[in-house]
Amino acid sequence: MAQDSGTRTLISQAQLQRGPGRAIYWTLLAVVIIGFTLVFLGPLYWMVTGALKSGQEIAQTPPSLFPQDPQWQNYADAWNNLALAKLLFNTFYYAAGAVLFQLVFDTAAAYSLSKLRPVFGNAILGMMLATLMIPAMVLIVPQYVTVIDLPIVHISLLDSPFAIWLPLVANAFNIFLLKRFFDSIPEDLMAAALMDGATPLRTLWSIILPMSRPILGVVSIFAVTAVWKDFLWPKLVMPSPETRTVSVGIYAFAGGTPMNVVIAASVIAAIPTVIIFLIFQRNIMSGLTAGGLKG
Amino acid sequence: MAITSAPGAIRAASRPAPSSPAGRQRTSLGRKVRDNLTGHAFLIGAVLCFAVFSWYPMVRGIVMSFQRTRRGETTWVGWDNYLRILDDPSFWTAWKNTFYFTVLALVLGYAVPFFVAILLNEFRHAKGYLRILVYLPVMLPPASALFLFKFYAYDPSDAGLFNAILKALGLPTSQWMQSPDMTMPAMVIASTWMNMGGAVLIYLAALQNIPGELYEAAELDGAGVWRRIRHVTIPQTRLILALLAMLQIVATMQLFIEPLILANGAGAEDSATSVAYLIYQHGFFQNDLNGAAALGVIMLVVLAGFSAVYLRLTAKQD
Amino acid sequence: MSVPQYRKAAALALVAGLGLSLTACSTKSDDAKNDASGKVTITVDCQPVGAQKELLQNWNDDVAEFERQNTDIAIKSVSVGEQCNNPPDFTARLAGGTVTDVFYGYMTDLQQVLDSGQAMDISEFANAETVPTWDSVDPALKEVFTDGGKLYAVPVKNYSMGLVYNKVLFQQAGLDVNNPPKTWAEVRDAAKKISALGNGIAGYAEYSAGNTGGWHFTSLLYSQGGQMLTADGKKADFNNAMGKQVLQNLKDMRYGDNSMGDRQLLQWGDLLTNAGAGKVGMFIGAPDTTQAIVSQFQGKFEDWAMGPLPGQDGPAKGTLGGGEGYFFKKGLSPEQVKAGLKWVAYQKLTPGKGQFDYARAKPQNYPVGLPQPLLFANGTEAQKQELELRKANANVDTANFAVFEANPVPIKGEPRNAQAIYTVLDAAMSGVLTNPNANIDALLKTAEDKVNQLLAAEG
Repeated sequence: MAQDSGTRTLISQAQLQRGPGRAIYWTLLAVVIIGFTLVFLGPLYWMVTGALKSGQEIAQTPPSLFPQDPQWQNYADAWNNLALAKLLFNTFYYAAGAVLFQLVFDTAAAYSLSKLRPVFGNAILGMMLATLMIPAMVLIVPQYVTVIDLPIVHISLLDSPFAIWLPLVANAFNIFLLKRFFDSIPEDLMAAALMDGATPLRTLWSIILPMSRPILGVVSIFAVTAVWKDFLWPKLVMPSPETRTVSVGIYAFAGGTPMNVVIAASVIAAIPTVIIFLIFQRNIMSGLTAGGLKG
Repeated sequence: MAITSAPGAIRAASRPAPSSPAGRQRTSLGRKVRDNLTGHAFLIGAVLCFAVFSWYPMVRGIVMSFQRTRRGETTWVGWDNYLRILDDPSFWTAWKNTFYFTVLALVLGYAVPFFVAILLNEFRHAKGYLRILVYLPVMLPPASALFLFKFYAYDPSDAGLFNAILKALGLPTSQWMQSPDMTMPAMVIASTWMNMGGAVLIYLAALQNIPGELYEAAELDGAGVWRRIRHVTIPQTRLILALLAMLQIVATMQLFIEPLILANGAGAEDSATSVAYLIYQHGFFQNDLNGAAALGVIMLVVLAGFSAVYLRLTAKQD
Repeated sequence: MSVPQYRKAAALALVAGLGLSLTACSTKSDDAKNDASGKVTITVDCQPVGAQKELLQNWNDDVAEFERQNTDIAIKSVSVGEQCNNPPDFTARLAGGTVTDVFYGYMTDLQQVLDSGQAMDISEFANAETVPTWDSVDPALKEVFTDGGKLYAVPVKNYSMGLVYNKVLFQQAGLDVNNPPKTWAEVRDAAKKISALGNGIAGYAEYSAGNTGGWHFTSLLYSQGGQMLTADGKKADFNNAMGKQVLQNLKDMRYGDNSMGDRQLLQWGDLLTNAGAGKVGMFIGAPDTTQAIVSQFQGKFEDWAMGPLPGQDGPAKGTLGGGEGYFFKKGLSPEQVKAGLKWVAYQKLTPGKGQFDYARAKPQNYPVGLPQPLLFANGTEAQKQELELRKANANVDTANFAVFEANPVPIKGEPRNAQAIYTVLDAAMSGVLTNPNANIDALLKTAEDKVNQLLAAEG
């Protein structure tokens, strides 16, 4: 993030440090900081405090800025009635598995396509990339019918985490990102390793992977976000209350739970990821900005 | 991308000249087979997942859309499912709503992050703070963010956050999700708020790759800020702009969770029904998985047509 | 450049672990057959969820007692969520073939269950031998679960809708708690008075989303004497004076009197949540909605009473009825079917046991004395026993439901293609409830066209 401080952007550094430019810069900065705080943090504040208000207070006009009589009970109810601990655990478990499966299978596939190049490799890559054109919603019904009765083996994956993990492996975008990155690793390195008699697996493990940390980070972030943000698929394949993800669980309970408790649950559900994000924000930001997505 | 699909390409590429033709001939067949086997062994996991969860369902979806399952028996019914779907009274409403959302989302959800990114890229202070702010909503579970909007922001009484603000400013209040005219704009606002962080970061990355000299030169030519954006920033980020436009359109066409949570499904007078919601209705409320599959195929065709046009247009510019 | 051994080991362990858990999942579903000891095992769904502590305890006690009495039968209970039959999940289970051996469904689900090919013909098994009270069960209910002369499910619950009202709010508004409104005009007056209490209280609340709007429209239409479809089931039959009256009544309350609250687009749980919080004066529903208000929505059943469904100028001309039953999965062995029937008979159809164990329910936070489930035919022995037990153990003031019981309204079932039709009518309901300038004629005309289109496409 620091590398750009010296580069020239739209408006020159000099212009910003002189007279009117300086004044405009600082005014604009102040306006943006206040504006963004209101727009992005404001609703979150409203959410956290709203969940503390009583039913009466929430219906009052105009709404109060601070809860007059904080109802901590709302948070306790949310935690207990919605079994949030279980929902959060499920979500993180699915996310962790998704990262693992994608890293293992997609990295192996991209490595093969980039460096080992077996016969029909290009055809397979082409067929994978073609799936980028197919939106998830189009596949939802046949994919669902497939998951409840897998072809040949006739197993149902309903309520099994594999119903979330395995379809996520079929992610052409990740394979494409990884392959492009591997393509940029010089062949000489590979050749040297092969001459040493290293197996392809060992080459991948000890040469390619250590060099690929940034891209692996990006793929991991995408995998976590995919699980975190997905809704309809987990709603369909995880029908039991015990296996739901946090988003689906909150939605399932919303119909029968007082509004403030639903909001309290939403706040609690957001806390772990926000904390993780704040801790790793540097890595996540630089990963997202540096990783593969250059114009 | 220089990909040679010939077997044994690794060795051929890494060793410019084979040391001994005879030696190569001796090992070539066994080596070739083994190299290929290894290559495919690495591919097998991903290929299986693609086969089972992507390629096969695609084919199955098309097949299903021509079948009907009744009383446990599946029969071939030709175009019946398509005719039934086209006759569904909500079909055109759903497409109209979905297109409307897509267009609104392009205006708001696409342009706003770009200009936010340009703005953020100019600041020398509070950079980290502003980036975190913009990305924070992305961290919320989507259901959380939407319930926040549903219960607090879009409350139709004057106790609602937005209405309280409008009232304080002396502006007329709105019924939000209960007003058919406001349903889509309200959904776009919520959707943009909770999703724009990702786009902003990607644009920021692209902006940082623009060589400073280009701005320098433009400034020397006397170009103002706006002209510099038009003639330097936009052309320099065209590729990423095009990519994100494509991704966003495909994403917004699949609008589902916003109507489901904000509007309890169809919304006021069907103003929130989306194509994806209709697929869900047919498949899981109306006992009509075959119709839902047909609607999925129609969606695919529409998006494919759109992609073709889009690729045409972008190709022309090159 | 060597790989540390431990890493390799860890990777191996990981792969092995995943493989194991995969096989563990895959064998999960096929354990419900006769086991080695010769016991007949059946899986049954709709076990109460953990949050419903007492109901769950009752269920588990019933299972234990039943297994003690029938040592050759083992029951495996499955909980499928707060609502035993939430349409998308139910559809998913049917399509996926993951229904339990004995599975719960609504009366209106028969066609869908048959289409899925998951239902078993139980005609030859259902008799007084497997279900001791079988001959007392209302024949009309058996008929509902019969198709082409074959019986597919055992009815376990039956209800009809009436006007549910909050006595506390009635009192506060100066209304007579023992004399609920009998016509829609009276409902309107009462709603006006109740909403005048302020505090965001709605005098009358109504659904308009998630297919529940169309569901209640049907009931309201029946009260006017109307029907959703023509007798042959080929055309919509609600675009007439009666249908218009239904919407006009709602529009008058919503925008004429502003007595229905600001928040609309409600669906099932939304309304009951508000009701549990004491924010709703009246709504239409079955007697057991009061039970849901208590067990799920933190309300008190003492607060609630029920009258018959109001009509336009006098008593309602009809009301919507419905019910539930247990289906049997195709492919069960005769022993399993018999075991399942015995279990359903024990838990659902025996006065003094299971759902009729009023002595047990009385001290619990669970209403006894509700005028349902109305399973047994008039004059049968089982009905007599059940009524006596109910009276002896009632913890609900039966006066709360006396008006409802004393004024029976003819019951009509749901139309065919109910869910698709309800979706269409949600739009009409949301129209009058969210748009002050809604054009009722246009809304009904649109809905009629849509339903006709839909029926034509179904063929």
